[in-house]
Amino acid sequence: MAEDYILRMRGVTKRFPGVTALENVDLELRSGEVLALMGENGAGKSTLMKILGGAQPPDEGELLIDGKAVEFRNVSDSRRHGIVLVHQELMMASNLDVAGNIFLGSEKSHWGLLNRRAMRSASVALLRRVGLSCSPAMLVGALTPGQMQMVEIAKALSHKARILILDEPTSSLTLTESEQLFKIIGDLKRDGIAIIYISHRMEEVKRLADRVIVLRDGKRVGELEHDQITQNKIVSMMVGRELTNWYPPLRPRADYPPILQVENLIVPGAPCAVSFEAGKGEIVGFAGLVGSGRTELMQAIFGTTPPLGGTLVVDGQAFAPRRPRDAISRGIYLAPEDRKHHGLVLPMSIAQNISMPDIHNYKPRMWLQRGHEQVVAKKQLESLRIKAPGVKHRVGSLSGGNQQKVVLGKWLAMRPKILILDEPTRGVDVGAKAEIYREMMELAQQGITILMVSSEMEEVLGMSDRIVVMRERRMEGILPRDQATQERIAALMTGAGKIDKSIGV
Amino acid sequence: MRRELGILCAVVVMCGFLFWSNHDFGKAANILNVSRQAAMLGIFAIGSSFVIITGGIDLSVGAIIGLTGVLIAKISSPSVHCLNHPLWVGISIALGVALLIGLIQGLLISRLKLQPFIVTLAGMLLVRGTAQIITHGGTLGLGTSPLINLSTEGLFHYGYHAVLAYPVLMFIGVIILASYLLHGTVFGRYVFAIGGNRDAAQYSGIPVDRVETLTYVISAGLAGVAGICYASYIGQMTYNVGNGYELNAIAAAVIGGVSLRGGEGSVLGAIIGSIMMEVIQNGIILFKWVYHSAGHREVFRLSSNWTYFITGAVILLAVLIDQLANILNKRKRLKRQAQIAAAKQ
Repeated sequence: MAEDYILRMRGVTKRFPGVTALENVDLELRSGEVLALMGENGAGKSTLMKILGGAQPPDEGELLIDGKAVEFRNVSDSRRHGIVLVHQELMMASNLDVAGNIFLGSEKSHWGLLNRRAMRSASVALLRRVGLSCSPAMLVGALTPGQMQMVEIAKALSHKARILILDEPTSSLTLTESEQLFKIIGDLKRDGIAIIYISHRMEEVKRLADRVIVLRDGKRVGELEHDQITQNKIVSMMVGRELTNWYPPLRPRADYPPILQVENLIVPGAPCAVSFEAGKGEIVGFAGLVGSGRTELMQAIFGTTPPLGGTLVVDGQAFAPRRPRDAISRGIYLAPEDRKHHGLVLPMSIAQNISMPDIHNYKPRMWLQRGHEQVVAKKQLESLRIKAPGVKHRVGSLSGGNQQKVVLGKWLAMRPKILILDEPTRGVDVGAKAEIYREMMELAQQGITILMVSSEMEEVLGMSDRIVVMRERRMEGILPRDQATQERIAALMTGAGKIDKSIGV
Repeated sequence: MRRELGILCAVVVMCGFLFWSNHDFGKAANILNVSRQAAMLGIFAIGSSFVIITGGIDLSVGAIIGLTGVLIAKISSPSVHCLNHPLWVGISIALGVALLIGLIQGLLISRLKLQPFIVTLAGMLLVRGTAQIITHGGTLGLGTSPLINLSTEGLFHYGYHAVLAYPVLMFIGVIILASYLLHGTVFGRYVFAIGGNRDAAQYSGIPVDRVETLTYVISAGLAGVAGICYASYIGQMTYNVGNGYELNAIAAAVIGGVSLRGGEGSVLGAIIGSIMMEVIQNGIILFKWVYHSAGHREVFRLSSNWTYFITGAVILLAVLIDQLANILNKRKRLKRQAQIAAAKQ
């Protein structure tokens, strides 16, 4: 049956400095089939699809289309073979209209003159195929994310796609929009288009997929045919690792005196309000998929995007953050997810980065006390064991783990009350990870409250006293550590919470 | 279109006000003069707009205007120190040089990923320096060259004045071509796409480098065309002609709704912005306020020293009003969302 595969990927390997993103991965696809690709964040799904889409070349391995070996040098090469990738973060020029975006890069024209009418009328047919009723002359910037997704699919159809890759297509869609999408996927299947469907959502995969391939740590760990797909099997394949022992020992559960109370907080863009509490010295983990609204919640508490309603109480006092400075003055600090953009000034030195949020305390008489700055930095360098030649060293040339420690150091020098860590170990190697965990535990023992957002299941389970699970910008549940299991969290964050009991937690 | 319409209304109101304050504003000679000035600014402001819409900037425009005039005078003028070749030779070489400068700058920016600001800043100094070297820091007259008549002659005469002076005719030509190019062709679509979302453009298979290069060629080429008009208008070329005009072009474009963030703007906007700039300049000279004080009739006039001040204020006001409208819209939208979220409680 090998000959009726329209696509085969064999032995694909891709290495990035420091990590092997993909190791000897095989993938095959028949026409008119929906293949679900599953795995945790960072399992290698996106890298595999980028290789298929021509955005990155593989280090090893080969691609066969209709049995013939092909090599993709760029996006257009892959598109010529009928492969179209619909990115999760939508690639739209929001200043152009719908028809303009559908035909972007393949405009209908006559002697270089745009044939707007032809594009618009062709768009109408394509839009009808994806069930979108908006006018092709509408500006894309005015569409909802769901509508934009449909425009992306219409664009793919305009390329006469044979293989359509959908990367988490429903992550920004409402329920009705998702239903619409599933109907379209059914139609496309009937037309013989093969679809690779990347998603974390169990119901969707169970309903749509003819086959599931599961990746973990860059390796293909399993394959299931449609009638074998069960929640249990997939989850255990996805998270099948043992909890490793670099987490500090469990602390006995204590009764933490409350320090942060969040009540009916309305985060900009969220569909409903959020409430939770955190105690002094407690570590609260925030689990969820990428885009589930955890970062946005933290930014609302920190004041980068001020909340639109609800109340925050810190240490018994009401607190309405309007800008980060308000949060900082209350002792609430945020180590952001994207530390290279939001956490550090890369061309500046370690000492300069550490003194930045507290710079006024370094200038008792008009002039910056560089000596004092360096003494403080040196203390953090030693206590956090930052590996650097000195405090005058440029932050940009440190490794990821050491950069993250500098971010920590900058806040620790100011004695935090509440420390928000957004993905504290992203891009950090294993050794530095363990040190960051130990440091977090020490801080918690000193009575500092930590809110930790993490997409790594083990990390959430290994570090948190309580776990808040979020999905689609809502809170799905709060689990105390002793009641939390990987399966239970995975079920909540993928929206399969109802079948929770059947797993037998 | 909202922005263009708003500015158009502002221009009309300004003209009405100026006419009311000084009827000389409506005299044929003045209207024809303002329209010629606006045409010459408009020609290269449209060129700059192409670059700005892709998200770039071109600071070399004013220097190219100066060099074009200097080259034409050097090659074609019958005056001393000049070569006295036929006029078409001078104009062809000058325009060719302008296009070449644009091509080199465009390639440096798109292929070598140098920053547009730096490349065109260096370009500005190099080009201005070349003009200075050619003129030896002095003056080159156009003498009796027929080019002198370009800015004053034209079609349809009214008394002594040509109703459509050649610069205005050229401006109309540029408007038609540029409108087609920017709003009607695939190339124009790519210009907007690159300014709107460079990644999306790249992922859609658009030849981003080539399109970006071409916008700098267009900008420099139109600066060359404007340079011919200014040479004719001024007659005596010094290396300093066109000094600072690149900022006038950027100001005209921005007033007309071209966004320096890229992806937004129109030829119409650049036209209206250019007219606005010239009406301000003209208005400062003509504005007068007649009032009676202690039985005496007194006339208040603005000193021309207010030109920069008022131009600056108008630019700031134009972008301020636009941004305030944006902020209010966004706030309204967020408030609505929050109400929905709160209602779901």
